[in-house]
Amino acid sequence: MSGDWLAPLMFVVVMLFIFLGYPVAFSLGGAALFFAVLGVELGYFDWNLLYAFPERVFGVMSNYVLLAVPYFIFMGTLLEKSKLAEDLLHTIGLLFGRVRGGLALAVVFVGTLLAAATGVVGASVVAMGLISLPVMMRYRYSPELATGVITAAGTLGQIIPPSIVLVVLADQLGVSVGDLFLGSLVPGLALAGLYACFIGVVAMVRPAAAPALPAAERALSGRVLARRLAVAMVPPLALVLVVLGSIFAGVATPTEAGALGALGAIALAALHRRLSMQALRETMAETARLTSMVVFLLIGSTAFALVFRGLYGDVWIEDLLTNLPGGKIGLLIVANLAIFVLGFFIDFFEIAFIIVPLLVPAALALGIDPVWFGVMIAMNLQTSFLTPPFGFAIFYLRGVCPPEISTLQMYRGVVPFVAIQIVALVLVIAFPEIAMFLVR
Amino acid sequence: MNRGRLASASRGIDAFNRRLGSLVAWLTLVMVLVGSFNAVARYLGRWVGVNLSSNTWLELQWYLFSLVFLLGAAHVLECGAHVRVDVLYGRLSTRARSWIDLLGSLLFLIPFTVFGLWVSWPAVRNSWAIREGSPDPGGLARYPIKAVILLAFALLLLQGVSEAIKAAGRLRAPEPEAPGGATAPKEEAR
Repeated sequence: MSGDWLAPLMFVVVMLFIFLGYPVAFSLGGAALFFAVLGVELGYFDWNLLYAFPERVFGVMSNYVLLAVPYFIFMGTLLEKSKLAEDLLHTIGLLFGRVRGGLALAVVFVGTLLAAATGVVGASVVAMGLISLPVMMRYRYSPELATGVITAAGTLGQIIPPSIVLVVLADQLGVSVGDLFLGSLVPGLALAGLYACFIGVVAMVRPAAAPALPAAERALSGRVLARRLAVAMVPPLALVLVVLGSIFAGVATPTEAGALGALGAIALAALHRRLSMQALRETMAETARLTSMVVFLLIGSTAFALVFRGLYGDVWIEDLLTNLPGGKIGLLIVANLAIFVLGFFIDFFEIAFIIVPLLVPAALALGIDPVWFGVMIAMNLQTSFLTPPFGFAIFYLRGVCPPEISTLQMYRGVVPFVAIQIVALVLVIAFPEIAMFLVR
Repeated sequence: MNRGRLASASRGIDAFNRRLGSLVAWLTLVMVLVGSFNAVARYLGRWVGVNLSSNTWLELQWYLFSLVFLLGAAHVLECGAHVRVDVLYGRLSTRARSWIDLLGSLLFLIPFTVFGLWVSWPAVRNSWAIREGSPDPGGLARYPIKAVILLAFALLLLQGVSEAIKAAGRLRAPEPEAPGGATAPKEEAR
């Protein structure tokens, strides 16, 4: 019985190790090993449990759901590297550019549509920033609005299907990817809509902050514009909609849809004569790199979980979480606060692999729907990534921002979007039907 | 061994894993093609009433996936793309980062990969001894892909040694005043 303190100690020490900054996958693995040895020495841990490890690794290898991850990465990265995403932004900018705030709306639209395929906060925000910030600055958008929109739209892509973070989250929650996609569809689109409303309000109240394109730039005939839309906007839009539609309709599994989506992206790039060897090479390298990073994070987390369970850490956490004052409400508050704070420091994948498996048994025991729980986690994390002063997204955009935009301006720019997020998160928690009515 | 020998061993490991990494990247394209074939074949197969795909192709898809991340992981380590929590790390001096990389390699990565080899060895050996096949008809042999688990940990172990050598080298070298602070230090002598 007196070995009970080992699991809590392990949890705390592992968190500290992760913060040192050595790659998380191996910090987890190494720390797990350390506690396994400690546990064996003290007589509270059975070394034979660890022989389950290769079987777990093999389970990850043959996991059909995770197979969708490289496909979605491939699709999204190729659209970006072949500059189709950039074309899309420019074209939609022209379409909406006629109205004040139009360019910002275009960023929200493109973020919603395309950032969806990348899963790492840094990657989507940096990509959106590189494409759209120079354009917005050229047309004299206020730096606050421009950076706020980019960070918000760049992170929103993460929680709008088809995104790879939702794929791994579904896997960890033990729900179907299609259900989690469906559940996050309405809240995600509602957020995009709220961003758009906010931009509209800013454009009305402070026209100088979000000017329309100058007349010379938008003096395109309707026909030319229509042709550009047909070439640059319709195909990628159709690709994403077909991929999603086939998953929702149950025609294809997410893995199948992902593979075909990646093939579709290759075809699109080829049709636009953008399928250069360089774009393809970069896409393949990025896909291999991100896939390996994600899966090894999972393997490290598996080692952690194996030892943590061997020390009865799972029992400790579940006891703790199911006996909170307030029951279900208590758990929701604690889970949300924990995820929000952790989101300042660690990315979506670490939370999905390390923290979510600890929360799920307690949530299920208290009768919380895992799909809804997943949607809530995703929205919460996105809010956390945006929130100053720690929010990840701001740091990453800072990296690609011209120096004349101050960090304080970025903080001010993102605050309204954080407010929108919090309102939406509270609504989804108070009225689960917002997320769930499509799923049932 | 003197320092020159260590450094050149490290360069050799880096070069090998880098080449392997760019090679397995091509498998992602093969994965896309095989996956698309499987999806279309299942769908068309339902229409014509003949199963056009087979377990061979379905299993090939995740075999390729496994090869990509297992054999690519060492290269990912070399190019610093395994995710770090950089709240602290990003603010440290090059020297402090080198310490973390050195100690991390020695205390976390190398023991973990040795552990991985240690616990996987019996499972892989059994699989080879019985020439383990697929439980499904027409599936691929299991024993070679299980052996890749060992290979992956071995490659990571080597890369961990190389990273430790490089970090130690940085610590022994006189501190060059690095202008600005890039987050991911990626400095190796080519």
